Amino acid sequence: MGFSANGKQYLLPEEALYLMECGNVQVFYQDLPLSIQDGFECFLSSSSVSLQQYQVFGHLKRLGYVVHRFDASSQPSSYARQLNLPQSRGARSLKRKRSDSLVPTCSHSEAHKVPDVKRRQAEEDPTLPESRPTSSQDTLGAQSPSADSNGGRPWWITDAVASHQSHEHACRRSLCWDGVIVFPDVASLRGHSSCLASPDPSLLPGGLTVGECDVKPWTRRINQREVKMSAKDRERERREHRRKWDVNRDEKVRQCRNWAEYHQLLASRQGRRSGRPEHLWQREVTPLHDHTQPISTGELLDKISVIKSTHVLEGASRLKASEEWRICFTVYQPDTVATFKKSNPGKPFAHMCICSFTGPVPDLAAIKQLSFQSGDVQIVFAVVDAGDISFYTFKDFQLPTDVYP
Amino acid sequence: VGGPWLPGDPHLLSPPPACNNGGGSSPWRGPRKSEPTMHISQCDSAPLLWHTDEVAAARSLGLVGALLGSLPRTPRQNVRLGRPLLLLPEEERFLGDCGALTAISQSDVGVREHARQVALYEETLERSYQEQQVLALQDRKAAVLRVDCEEDKRRRLETLERHFSFQRSALMVQLNTARVGPAHLSAGPASCAIRTPAADAKYQVFLDLRRRGFYLTSAGKFGGDFLVYPGDPLRFHAHFICVCVRADERVPLSDLLAAARLGSNVKKTLVLCSPHCHGGGVTYSSLQWSGMI
Repeated sequence: MGFSANGKQYLLPEEALYLMECGNVQVFYQDLPLSIQDGFECFLSSSSVSLQQYQVFGHLKRLGYVVHRFDASSQPSSYARQLNLPQSRGARSLKRKRSDSLVPTCSHSEAHKVPDVKRRQAEEDPTLPESRPTSSQDTLGAQSPSADSNGGRPWWITDAVASHQSHEHACRRSLCWDGVIVFPDVASLRGHSSCLASPDPSLLPGGLTVGECDVKPWTRRINQREVKMSAKDRERERREHRRKWDVNRDEKVRQCRNWAEYHQLLASRQGRRSGRPEHLWQREVTPLHDHTQPISTGELLDKISVIKSTHVLEGASRLKASEEWRICFTVYQPDTVATFKKSNPGKPFAHMCICSFTGPVPDLAAIKQLSFQSGDVQIVFAVVDAGDISFYTFKDFQLPTDVYP
Repeated sequence: VGGPWLPGDPHLLSPPPACNNGGGSSPWRGPRKSEPTMHISQCDSAPLLWHTDEVAAARSLGLVGALLGSLPRTPRQNVRLGRPLLLLPEEERFLGDCGALTAISQSDVGVREHARQVALYEETLERSYQEQQVLALQDRKAAVLRVDCEEDKRRRLETLERHFSFQRSALMVQLNTARVGPAHLSAGPASCAIRTPAADAKYQVFLDLRRRGFYLTSAGKFGGDFLVYPGDPLRFHAHFICVCVRADERVPLSDLLAAARLGSNVKKTLVLCSPHCHGGGVTYSSLQWSGMI
């Protein structure tokens, strides 16, 4: 109790009044002793210690606690607190390792300790898609796509069968050229007419006229002899041909109008096969998780959680001190009286804030600011109601998770 | 009984709770000017009574109040406390309306008066010292006489009388709880509480319940305005928790349910009191949570 200054021992007003009430101290003012009524009227006021604060002070002192006025400057800084703490703060993380056993979220033995700040390890979102495997089917593209935009027969076939389609051909051909040049396969013309029809004069520049083309001298230059194969070779050929699938039979391939589109088609097919379809991974919004990678249910739930749990000290340093709510007293445990030293009081039991039932309940900003000011010591609200005092404290609470790997 | 409640409100029990005048409750003593005045000392804007007879008088009027100070005989416990007595604002206003209140304050005295007081105090101290000296000597002699052997007694009594000295530091002094001497009346009004409509409503309810003989204390712990006892709180448990609601106030149903559940948990009935405007009576509705049928 009390403090010494200028070589003298001083008592704080609430301490003096308490000792007067216990009958241990007689206070003189101008050579006359003060009665307790005088003490109440002189020592207690809203500027020094209010009546409610003295009620709480007296209540705690009668129970045996050591009660000091709160001194914000004597609070150890967070760095100093870190050095003195016996248990590490960052040992527990919310990210559960698959190999470890259950990590408890609150492993303190003291019931009053406010849980420490939990460091969340940032999940690395797989934003970058894996590099697509290069298409190995470029070599297959030796054959030119034989289908033109008309999707019909090539223009050099002028059978009677195709004559009724000539009108449609003419209509379709009147559309703009799509950049596809189809060359006739002379070797396959064996069964057909021996000459190629002349091209459409509208396609020719200027006043060029081209007659029919005689195919015979060209066919003579092509080796059209049948390959002599044994029965086994023929069987093998048949089997391979059965397995070989003409790439041009694919509808999508026929729709490709140039090599770039064909490459895109091949790439998207490859992507889908490898599990990274481009419509998912190449856009602005990509999936949260690559489904081919293994992930535990708990981690997945963490990824999709929208509301992240927060801590009471988050954003607390930015709040400025309010006048309405401030810590009044520092309370130390009664059984430490024997080991209590003013120079080394030890860790306080609680910090007291005093209010009344007629006043407002502390809002979140006040609680944050008080917790920040108090450090790791719990804050107790002493609510005074005429003669009774009730003690309340707010405890941090983490919602339980039911999912474990 | 009028209907201050809006439709859809809980069931109105129009007869007020039965007033049992038995159990030692004091009869209603209306304001009479012949009441002995009580001296209120304002400490940090809280009304305190310091003198024992005034505290007893307040109790006889049915005002319970709350004791704040340490009990002089056993100061280091919280079960029984001593003076001063803190009055509720309604109790203070009640005493003020009775005319039984005088506010006192400490005022500065002149130099000569102060010197006179100092001289008086020192004279009292000296007289007390002399008395105590005599009593101490008697005490020691009685201790010697209690011893059995006869011859030593006379000799020891003589040496005792010759060499006895009573130290000043052994003097017992009295630490007064209340201020001694004449009270200095303060110039200001007896009660300086701010009058708000809510405070007026509470006071009306307080008056009405006091008139019916109930004892009232503060009920902040129970989420209400008053705790209503059928008799002296030292002899009874509280029966009701009173919540004062103004007639024009809309109360959300969730508040009513929370208050009713709280009351049922502590085995008290919740009573909603709403005073009629301009004097008149008070309408009471009690809520009891009966659970699912």
